[in-house]
Amino acid sequence: MILSSTKELKDKGFEQILDFFRKKSLWMLHYCTGCGAVELPPTMTSRWDMERFGMGPMATPRQADLLLITGYLSVKSLKRVIYTYEQMQEPKWVIAFGSCPINGGIYYDSYSVINRLALYLPVDLSIEGCMPRPEAIIDGFTKLMKAIEKGEAVGYKKYKENYEWYKKNQREVLERTTPVL
Amino acid sequence: MEQKELIEHIEKNFKYKKEIKVIDGKQFTITVEKDKVLNLLSFLKLIDFKQLALITAVDWIDEKKFEIVYILFSYSHIQQILVKTFVDRDNPQVETVKNLWDVASMYERDVHEFFGIDFIGNDDLRPLILHNWKDLPPLRKDFDSLKYSNKMFGKFKKDEEI
Repeated sequence: MILSSTKELKDKGFEQILDFFRKKSLWMLHYCTGCGAVELPPTMTSRWDMERFGMGPMATPRQADLLLITGYLSVKSLKRVIYTYEQMQEPKWVIAFGSCPINGGIYYDSYSVINRLALYLPVDLSIEGCMPRPEAIIDGFTKLMKAIEKGEAVGYKKYKENYEWYKKNQREVLERTTPVL
Repeated sequence: MEQKELIEHIEKNFKYKKEIKVIDGKQFTITVEKDKVLNLLSFLKLIDFKQLALITAVDWIDEKKFEIVYILFSYSHIQQILVKTFVDRDNPQVETVKNLWDVASMYERDVHEFFGIDFIGNDDLRPLILHNWKDLPPLRKDFDSLKYSNKMFGKFKKDEEI
């Protein structure tokens, strides 16, 4: 195969061509934690018809490109999200829905819901709103496509480079041995 | 039985100290001493209150007491009874009811995790919902949830960058 030559893969021009095709075929894995999961069926089906952008749902993380965090994320599901994210093949992108993964949203004082997802996973795009309407979701997806085409959506590379930092933050929440207060 | 007959029946046949209060046509509360809960619950089970809908607790921090609430339902009387009892907040212990209803063992695990109440006789009080919890039980009133959240998950303002 042509792709097997790493020298060519590193070539920027070749990467650009790949990015052009990648943005046209995004398979998403939606991890339905919060209320944003309700907004996805209308986005997928005939009314807003996500498939015209070449996006579709995928059943397994190993074949998906996009991880959608649809709303608030409790500590217990954060662990599963990290498992899922690390199973996904590169290139991979994370989209966070609504205000909860940005600053906690209405769960800002909850003892079991994380406040900012970007501390634990590299978030490529946050869609604001509580919850975002399908129009906002489509808008976010097109923004992500543009970023992919320009080669700006490099969350997965950031995750690899700053792996220790992310792991440290994850361990602080998941494997704590002492009380917080 | 109608609610009135039911209350009369309980007044007549359950001799221990109790306080009955009607909430509305479908439900009423019975408050008893801590060590008479098991007697009352088994008595109520005999008069066809077969379903234990929930065990939960209320933290009365000013009175230094936990209130434990057992919600029972009867399909034949169409009545709901809230059996209440108070335990000391510093040493919260109460007898388990898992021998009357199997489902109680799950509710007791839940109450133990969120309020720290011990159920004597229930040997399976492992954590159920929370992940790796090391602090005070979170639904106690002296647990500061906002402080915990800010310290554990960080405090973020609108325009802050990481």
